[in-house]
Amino acid sequence: MKGGFRQSMAWLHTWSGLVVGWVLFAIFVTGTASYYRADITRWMRPELTQVQSAAAADLPAVAERAVAYLEAKAPDASSWFIGLPQPDRPLLDLFWRHGPGRPSGHALLDPHTGTEAPVRETTGGDFLYRFHFELHMPPLWGRWIVGICAMTLLVALISGIVTHKRIFSDFFTFRRDKAPRRSFLDAHNVTGVLALPFHLMITYTGIVTLSLMYMPWGVTTAYQGDSLTFFAESGQITAPRLPADRPAATAPVGPMVAQALATVPETLEGLSIVNRNDAHATVVAVFEEPHGLSHEHPQVAFDGVTGAVLEVRSGGLKLAAKTFTTMVGLHEAHFAGPALRLLFFLCGVMGSAMVATGLVLWSLARLPKAEAEAPLGLRLVQALNIGSIIGLPAAVAVYFLANRLLPPELPGRSAWEIRAFFAAWIAAALIPLARPHRRAWSEGLVLVAGLCLAVVAADIAMVEAHPLRRLGEGEALFLWFDGAMLALAALFAFAARRVARYRGPSRSEPRRAPVFAAPGERARA
Amino acid sequence: MTPAILALNLGLSFAALAALCLSLNRHHADIFGTKPSGRRVVLLRVLGWAGLVLGLVVAGEAEGWDFGPVQWIGALSGAGVGLVLLLSYRPRLVTPAGAAALGLALAGGALLHFA
Amino acid sequence: MAASRPIERAAILGRVVLAAGGGYAVAALSTALLSVTLPMPRSEAVTTATLLSFAILAGVVVLVFALATLRRAAALVLGAILVLGAGLWLAAGPFVLAGGAS
Repeated sequence: MKGGFRQSMAWLHTWSGLVVGWVLFAIFVTGTASYYRADITRWMRPELTQVQSAAAADLPAVAERAVAYLEAKAPDASSWFIGLPQPDRPLLDLFWRHGPGRPSGHALLDPHTGTEAPVRETTGGDFLYRFHFELHMPPLWGRWIVGICAMTLLVALISGIVTHKRIFSDFFTFRRDKAPRRSFLDAHNVTGVLALPFHLMITYTGIVTLSLMYMPWGVTTAYQGDSLTFFAESGQITAPRLPADRPAATAPVGPMVAQALATVPETLEGLSIVNRNDAHATVVAVFEEPHGLSHEHPQVAFDGVTGAVLEVRSGGLKLAAKTFTTMVGLHEAHFAGPALRLLFFLCGVMGSAMVATGLVLWSLARLPKAEAEAPLGLRLVQALNIGSIIGLPAAVAVYFLANRLLPPELPGRSAWEIRAFFAAWIAAALIPLARPHRRAWSEGLVLVAGLCLAVVAADIAMVEAHPLRRLGEGEALFLWFDGAMLALAALFAFAARRVARYRGPSRSEPRRAPVFAAPGERARA
Repeated sequence: MTPAILALNLGLSFAALAALCLSLNRHHADIFGTKPSGRRVVLLRVLGWAGLVLGLVVAGEAEGWDFGPVQWIGALSGAGVGLVLLLSYRPRLVTPAGAAALGLALAGGALLHFA
Repeated sequence: MAASRPIERAAILGRVVLAAGGGYAVAALSTALLSVTLPMPRSEAVTTATLLSFAILAGVVVLVFALATLRRAAALVLGAILVLGAGLWLAAGPFVLAGGAS
């Protein structure tokens, strides 16, 4: 393109980043929250404190209870998935499919009684997790849009690296007192460069996680499109069995669970049961990944009629398959303990900040000269910036708030939580349109800070078992969660103060004027 | 022994990054008011890069060569954030913090070695 | 690179289309070709090819925007598509190509 290689790359970086920036911000924020998906789900079901987890020795009986429930509730389902209780998820988590075109089902049971557990209906952290790669759209649409955004981010990262002339000498530079354009550029560089290995890793491995959907052509040519055979041959699943179309009684799962536990030393996560009451009925026991980076669940497949072991899958992947599962594992970071998880979370926050500062930078760089009217494109970008950077965090906070404030017995409760999420997002995106631009930023940031505080208040007010109401007894999780919300509130309040203090290029001032009030000076917004 | 290795990694990363950062004219001037001498630049860069490589080797040897590099990169990013914030809000604390980080790394190493 | 004149806007649109469509075509064809030609078990070949494909796609996109003229970029991408398509035809036969289109 004109102007040489570096200019073309700068152009590519600017525009590729802008067009997908708003969606990317949502993907980054919900993905970062998903590092604590299980904790969020647990927090959103405070009744779980009353449920005791089941010991490994009880699992065969617990699985039988799940099967008894499914026999009554979903006898004609094509497949059943039984999530067995874990220390951090003490309930039986059941899911069943009826085949194409018919809705699937879901239930949570008390593992000790086999009856539906008295917990509030919520999608918990799973909503944020699925939003991260489906955007709450039909899966096919959502995943393709996320994939295109991720691919564009990869291009934006590469062109950004190429554009950045002095990557080493600017590595540590954040000039907070300079003109806002300068400090936003520094913040964009610092968040981008400091966590660059993370950004490249998370983008590429994210695409790889759904790679066979985006790039199925290898399976098309080498397997004539038969992806199940590909998965089985590469060692990721046990060999699939089609129905034999001969009826046969399915054997009890208890002994199979006991045998699976004796075969693999890892924690048993769940069972999948397909082709029930058919001669090819198959029960697969799926275990947690062993210690390591790779997303590689050991599996034991049983003949559902005889109860005999068909196949044991545990390790032994070839190089490329191992690379693939390691990439998926790196993306999901199941392996990370508390400290490493926190570092991943921090890197995710930096990714979100990189996207947000990049978006704001675009609009700052195009502010009109004094007295001039902002062009339509700029006003559109400014509105979308506020709508995503303020709107999404506000929506997440309202989602948590709705979980605490909606009555637990409300019919369709989990759907109402999600409606609250989107209603808050729409409101937080529309209200600023009626306000002066910079006021809208500081008000929006204050609003998000206030919502985070409201979550903490609602948590303490509504949860009787909250540790602060029991003199420190009870689950520390609630304290951690509330502490994180307080930290976020402080972060947003700090940002609001910065925006309010900065006397920025208002229409009556020349653009290059010093724009930050001196430290200590009173805000005069 | 993950906490000890993490402390070692964070400390070493912070100290190494602080050395590299002090080798740059702008930041050296921010903190000491002068540009660093040529010899000091070389010394700081050698120490900084050596610290980074040492961190990687320690992480790899202690945690295995799958976990180690991941943890090393995580620690590097975390230490980098801390350093940049310190540098822009309290630049005078960078040198003492670098020394303290080195102390933390040594403590982590000692814990790893003797415990 | 202000796209002030219509002809420049058209050239930029052309690059975007070439980068997205051509880039995906090159990546898809190279995945299909490598999957049937890499000297390893077929599941490994498919996995390797698929893992590489996104790097290839990113590379093509960057290249399309880096080259001096749209014509040169188009020639390069179309050339790559032809070479890879011919290679796939030789390696797997028209049967697979027809299957791939379905």
